Amino acid sequence: MKNIKKAKNVYNSIKVPKELDYVVNRAITSENRKRNYSILHFKYAISTIACLFLCFVVMINLNPSFAASVEEIPIIGNIAKVFTVLEFKNEDDTKLIEAKIPALENTGNTELEKRINYEIMLKINEILKETEERAKEYKEAVIATGGKEEDYKPINIQIGYDLGYSSDKIVSFEIHKSETLASSYTEYYYYNIDIETGKKLNLRDLLGENFKKIVDDSIYSQIEERSKNPENSYFKKEDGGFNGIENEYQDFYINKDGKIVIVFEKYEIAPGYMGKQEFIIDKKIV
Amino acid sequence: MQDAKDILINYIKDNQEKLYRIAFSYSKNEEASLDIVQEAITKSLKNIKQLKEEKYVKTWFYRILINECLQYIKKNKRIITCELQEIENAIEWKDGITSDEIDIYKDIQKLENKYKTIIILRFYEDLKIEEIAKITKLNISTVKARLYKGLEILKKFIENNE
Repeated sequence: MKNIKKAKNVYNSIKVPKELDYVVNRAITSENRKRNYSILHFKYAISTIACLFLCFVVMINLNPSFAASVEEIPIIGNIAKVFTVLEFKNEDDTKLIEAKIPALENTGNTELEKRINYEIMLKINEILKETEERAKEYKEAVIATGGKEEDYKPINIQIGYDLGYSSDKIVSFEIHKSETLASSYTEYYYYNIDIETGKKLNLRDLLGENFKKIVDDSIYSQIEERSKNPENSYFKKEDGGFNGIENEYQDFYINKDGKIVIVFEKYEIAPGYMGKQEFIIDKKIV
Repeated sequence: MQDAKDILINYIKDNQEKLYRIAFSYSKNEEASLDIVQEAITKSLKNIKQLKEEKYVKTWFYRILINECLQYIKKNKRIITCELQEIENAIEWKDGITSDEIDIYKDIQKLENKYKTIIILRFYEDLKIEEIAKITKLNISTVKARLYKGLEILKKFIENNE
């Protein structure tokens, strides 16, 4: 029951087209005047709107200063594929959110773009909702335990993204969220997408059946190499350290050189001071 | 009933977005929803004499609207194949919408119309059981039975999502 009530949110966010006003008014007045309503008028109105829109598009193309500013939208790599679709700042007494949200574009596969951009939006909405609730709870906890309103420092959230690799076949990017309260913690979400098929790529797709051995061998030897430096102290296998990747869905991205970079979050295989751990797999991808 | 027409017109104007969303719940298509709302308004104005008491304007109009929706579905059975993608496209993104909520909303769309109507009216339009009974011309116990049955089916859908 509670869940069903919650979905009201979605129900109420069904977009209402601008033409509704027109349709309603027209239906009321035409019936009042006892005239037969003609759907042609409505279609005509719609095509007028479409025409205006077309003019607008043409104007954009003719207006050099506008065209110039369009070009300034961050084009990363050769092809503009991941760009900032929305940037916002949301501040109140419990939190400060700064977000730069990416979207996929220009892949030549609009269905794929729609799906991925929808997924990104969902992810970000989820993060924001979670944060808001946590910030509220935290503030209440501060006050409930005798803290003063002014002692409370808003939680600071930053959402951004980085493009790893982009070609006409594959695009790879990461979205990250940092949360700073007393200390800071960052979470990463990776997207590696085959543009032609729309498939989300995993390690098996890129390295073949033998992916686990390739990745494990490479990481073991890199850990050994890095451990020669006394400042690095990876967890031992028996203390929850690296013990081979579990499956092909291990987190990774593809870097500018087109190489796979395996990622372990902070604390996952090494103490927190060492931060996020990345291992480049020096093998050509399939 | 001199100004019944004015009351109806005001009601429609004040609630046009709600009316559109109901139509969209059935047709899942923007243009079709506009047509449905349009038809319902025309019909209601034509038959204004049937409105016996002004206080029933809301239930009376819902009745006409939902009949329009059901008729549309009957006519276009082949075209509507649970357009879930269309639903996603129609959602206006705001803070705080989660994927769970979207899944539930989609699950509601999958319900048979007789359950869907009652669940939408009860939970999203916040109507009383008595009002729903009037709109659907069912007796109160049938409405209740369908509501519980609908919720039961929905619960199973939701469990399957998890």
